[in-house]
Amino acid sequence: MVLFNSDSREIAVKVVYYGPALSGKTTNLQSLFQKIDPCVRGRLMTLDTKDDRTLFFDMMPVFFRTRSGVKVKLKLYTVPGQVMHESTRRIVLQGSDAVAFVADSRRSEAASTLAYWNDMLKNLEANGLDWRSLPIVVQMNKRDLPDARGDGELDDLRSVIQPPVLPAVAIRGEGVVETLYAVLQRCYRSLDRAFSLDERLQIPEREFLGQIFSHVDLRGTHLPAEGAAGR
Amino acid sequence: MSLPPSFLNQRLPLADLLDLRSFAEVCHSFSELYRVGLKVFDEEGNRLVDVKVGNADFCGYLWSKPAGRARCMETVGRVKSERLAEEARPVTFACFSGCRYVVQPILYEGDCLGRVVFGPFVPEEERELPEALLGHADLDPRRAASYQSKIRRVPMGTAGKILKHFMDLVDVLVFTGHKNLIAAKLHIEAVRESYRELSEKNQKLAESYSALKELDRLKSSFLATMSHELRTPLTSVIGYSEMMLEGLGGPLTAEQREYLGIIMEKGENLLQLITSILDISKIEAGRVRLVLSEVDVCQLMRDAVATLLPLARKRGLKVSCEPVQLPRIHADRDKLRQCLVNLCSNAVKFTPAGGSVVVRGEALGGERLAIHVTDSGIGISEEHLAKVFEVFFQVDGSTTREYGGAGLGLAIVKSYVEAHGGEVQVRSAPGAGSTFTVVLPIRSAAAGPLVTPVPSAAAAGGVR
Repeated sequence: MVLFNSDSREIAVKVVYYGPALSGKTTNLQSLFQKIDPCVRGRLMTLDTKDDRTLFFDMMPVFFRTRSGVKVKLKLYTVPGQVMHESTRRIVLQGSDAVAFVADSRRSEAASTLAYWNDMLKNLEANGLDWRSLPIVVQMNKRDLPDARGDGELDDLRSVIQPPVLPAVAIRGEGVVETLYAVLQRCYRSLDRAFSLDERLQIPEREFLGQIFSHVDLRGTHLPAEGAAGR
Repeated sequence: MSLPPSFLNQRLPLADLLDLRSFAEVCHSFSELYRVGLKVFDEEGNRLVDVKVGNADFCGYLWSKPAGRARCMETVGRVKSERLAEEARPVTFACFSGCRYVVQPILYEGDCLGRVVFGPFVPEEERELPEALLGHADLDPRRAASYQSKIRRVPMGTAGKILKHFMDLVDVLVFTGHKNLIAAKLHIEAVRESYRELSEKNQKLAESYSALKELDRLKSSFLATMSHELRTPLTSVIGYSEMMLEGLGGPLTAEQREYLGIIMEKGENLLQLITSILDISKIEAGRVRLVLSEVDVCQLMRDAVATLLPLARKRGLKVSCEPVQLPRIHADRDKLRQCLVNLCSNAVKFTPAGGSVVVRGEALGGERLAIHVTDSGIGISEEHLAKVFEVFFQVDGSTTREYGGAGLGLAIVKSYVEAHGGEVQVRSAPGAGSTFTVVLPIRSAAAGPLVTPVPSAAAAGGVR
């Protein structure tokens, strides 16, 4: 649930990177941390990792003030992927405004991906969130690995599921900005429907995304320069 | 199902993010190093840390004058509360006394959590007391100057750098504190959430367990009722067959006699089976009580063997009874007799022609005696040994099995013997025959008269 404080004119938005263990959620955040200008983001907080595995979650804040004077505080979270951290995943998912589901493209990971997708739907429901209306994007990560599904298979996937599907190689930083753009665009539209961001708070989509993406290193992405705001 | 709100979605005040005691120590040592005072306020304006260095005499002197006090309060108010832009750079506040403060907001994740006030110090660039202050009638200029000289002189540029250094330090402390707080709290929330989930599952398990128990009770009750209802007409079938055999319905041909004999025999078998079911359901419902009296065990053994003798002969088995000299015991005669009959009939049933069945008594120490029923039959494999006393258990559970029976005989034996405070043991190996041993106390009153395995409370009102 987006937190809007009308006294201080602040909006707090929560985006969660969800997915199976080792699918690359933390790698996504680490890559974004490198690409986003420190003037609009805080530190990347990585909680209690052991053997490079996330025990609790990672969190990175992104913040800016719009021309109409509204402060937007965006927090990007990952969940711990290991099966035993089920209750932590449910807690982190609480109050999310959008979800990026990070999947491993390899065929060998299909079963685990499906299991975590269902696990996510169940946990969203437990948090009173409706997955049918919540903005969700799917990132098919690890496209560079030999066993990965082909592009044709991604098209097949696109034809059967509603969320947009984005290819990525997060470890090389490919597709991570596009994924963030897609999830934030959907997130903005959903918030705009609920809170009239544009009409009531004078925050048009172009500015919302532009405030962030003008501070993102867009080299190597297909997003246009100047913050991709023109899209 | 809905989760309680997580602290992850709450905004945390500065005091929660810092360990205030150790933060104050850091501030003190920092102040000591630069010999300049330091104050930290949270966003509500609460003072978290206040270190004064060198300015006490000077400020105290000004404060002692009414006009000075008013202007001092005005300066302090501005330094503490004046709105700052949310930018990571120092803002200089000038005091009427000529001192300076540099102030910077504590920005964290885009929020302003409070401010750090560095000062007062005397700018290196303006060492002299302001003329406006010296012109003040109440003030002794020499005294004021001497007090002022105790305050650290700092070039303005340096003050900014020192503050920046401190802000970097605060930033790391806040980040570390935030991280630790989140880790600790999330750990607790995760444990609580797991506990909540487990409790929910336990609740469901407890519900299905009690539903199963109720079903089990219904099953026992159904078996008891049905057995009773089945026995009544069966008694008539057997009774009328017997009357016909005795010629009460007129003379019979040899063939008719044979048929009637079969009807009677099968009827008796069926009656026995139904009686066993009734017994076990009574045991399970806790409705059986022992009726204790003095019992001659040797007589019981001879009776049991005599009962089985015709069948054993028919199957070509040798049956012998070795009662030896045994004391009379305090027990329920009918139930003990049934135990021995059950054991003997099992021995006969599972022993092929030409084999033998031996019933043997033995006096044990400690006021106990044993009855062994040994056969030379097919035996029982080790994996099944522990299960043979379970209700409805059959070693050969297939529908085409060779040996009949409902799998109740041994379960009844075990319940009855244990109700006497005794125990049943079995020794066997496949192909090498079996020995079932009943060990009984000579006085069984101590075990109580109620037949297990059902809790006694359930049976309190259930005596039939």
